[in-house]
Amino acid sequence: MTANEILDMLYGTLHTTGIYNFQWNIVIMWGVGSLFIYLAIAKKYEPLLLLPIGFGIFIVNFPLVPLMGYSSNGHPLLLEVFYKYGLKWEVIPCVIFLGLGAMTDFGPLIANPKTLLIGAGAQLGVFITFTGTVLVGFTLKEAASVSIIGGADGPTTIYLTQHLAPQLLGANALAAYSYMAMVPLIQPPLMKMMTNPGERKIRMRQLRPVSRQEKILFPLVTSGIIALLVPSVIPLMGMFMLGNLMKESGVVERLVGTAKDALMNIVTILLGVSVGATMQADNFLSWKPLFIFSLGLVDFAVCTIGGLVTVKIMNLFLKEKINPLIGSAGVSAVPMAARVSQVQGLRYDRTNHLLMHAVGPNLAGVIGSAAAAGMFIAMFD
Amino acid sequence: MKKTALLLLILLMFPFVSNAEEFLGAPIVTQGKENLKTDVRLEIKSSLSHDEVVLFYREQFKDVPDIKFRDWKDSTYIEDDGAAPWHSITISKDEKDGATIVIIKDNWTWIIGTLILRYIGVFAVLMIVFVGMVVSGKIISATVRRMDEKKAAGQS
Repeated sequence: MTANEILDMLYGTLHTTGIYNFQWNIVIMWGVGSLFIYLAIAKKYEPLLLLPIGFGIFIVNFPLVPLMGYSSNGHPLLLEVFYKYGLKWEVIPCVIFLGLGAMTDFGPLIANPKTLLIGAGAQLGVFITFTGTVLVGFTLKEAASVSIIGGADGPTTIYLTQHLAPQLLGANALAAYSYMAMVPLIQPPLMKMMTNPGERKIRMRQLRPVSRQEKILFPLVTSGIIALLVPSVIPLMGMFMLGNLMKESGVVERLVGTAKDALMNIVTILLGVSVGATMQADNFLSWKPLFIFSLGLVDFAVCTIGGLVTVKIMNLFLKEKINPLIGSAGVSAVPMAARVSQVQGLRYDRTNHLLMHAVGPNLAGVIGSAAAAGMFIAMFD
Repeated sequence: MKKTALLLLILLMFPFVSNAEEFLGAPIVTQGKENLKTDVRLEIKSSLSHDEVVLFYREQFKDVPDIKFRDWKDSTYIEDDGAAPWHSITISKDEKDGATIVIIKDNWTWIIGTLILRYIGVFAVLMIVFVGMVVSGKIISATVRRMDEKKAAGQS
């Protein structure tokens, strides 16, 4: 064997390694992936999602890794399979909603249904951000998908983005989950700014007990109304209400257990890793993700303000006043936003427990953001 | 060769495609008379039928993303959801001597208007859910109360 032959062999081997195909922009993506892994592990920010998302970003940004795309014989690669059948076909967000429904107790919302309006008011940021996003040059579909981040509902954001602007999926999902994790940091200053000391101490009457029959009827009534008014979002809301009906019926414990534990965990892993895998350096490194992150924060803030202002407006007409601190829970972010209301309420009155009152608008926020997503889908389909 | 032949065939079938003019980046059929032209609006009365005009625009926009065709009762409405400077093209139906085409510039009135409407829409949806919950809650409460009363009467 001659020296040239040996060199050719080495050269050929080198060609099959990632080193030969190395590009500097992937280093930035390693940093982005590692940052989210760090936030998940060290700061415990939405670890169930940010950890697999961070790893997905990290691992797909190595040259030649056979994870996304198709093999030479046309078979989809591992993460492409998860992405294609889970996200592209809009399956995973709906299955997650099934699990969420199986975990949710709508009792506080049924006991105080007027809090539904807070969930609607808190969608203000969604519609305001839309305008800002269009102004900087996003298309209308992209603007809709970015603006829904403020609704603070991960599966809805992913569902809408995949439907309208799949090229922004990674950035939107990351922004949504990052800001949801930062709700305890973002909301309290706004809550303080928008309320006065007297309002913060308003005590609310204890919620009435809700019968089992009411809880069983709720998912049927709600899904029926939403199917009639915003049919485009029924894949999400229908699954949400199915999960809840299974829970409240009390006759399918095994299914409820699977939906809220095993199934939910499986799809969460697939969701996280495939969302991360969409963020390859070539299509992620642009001004748009940065803009989405900065506007997402504004979006979140305006949605929080929308919820707070809605309560203040409602108080003008109500005999029994509502503590405006529960208004901020009108963004979805279940149950984090409700917990923030509870903590802030206790801060101003150590015996004023707002948690159960805040769960109502919190759940209304889930329905509200899904309704907003449905409005956008209807607008473009 | 095949591609060239196909292109020639298309051009022969739709002669207006080859010499289309534009208004705000939106192609306009040449067989028509301008009724009104401002910076934001163009109205053309075309001698082509509604179907021919729609076919022309389908051909023009076949590779353009974010263009939506909507078949309405009295017109076909073409909307751009992308970043084109025009917003919509409306082609009237049921006109005996051709079709009227209206092209409108991208405008903030439409964007803000539709956003306000949709925000109100979210309130409307939740308000109707609220009414549904109150009504169904009352029905259930009454039914449960009646059942309890019956049970109590049966026991005594």
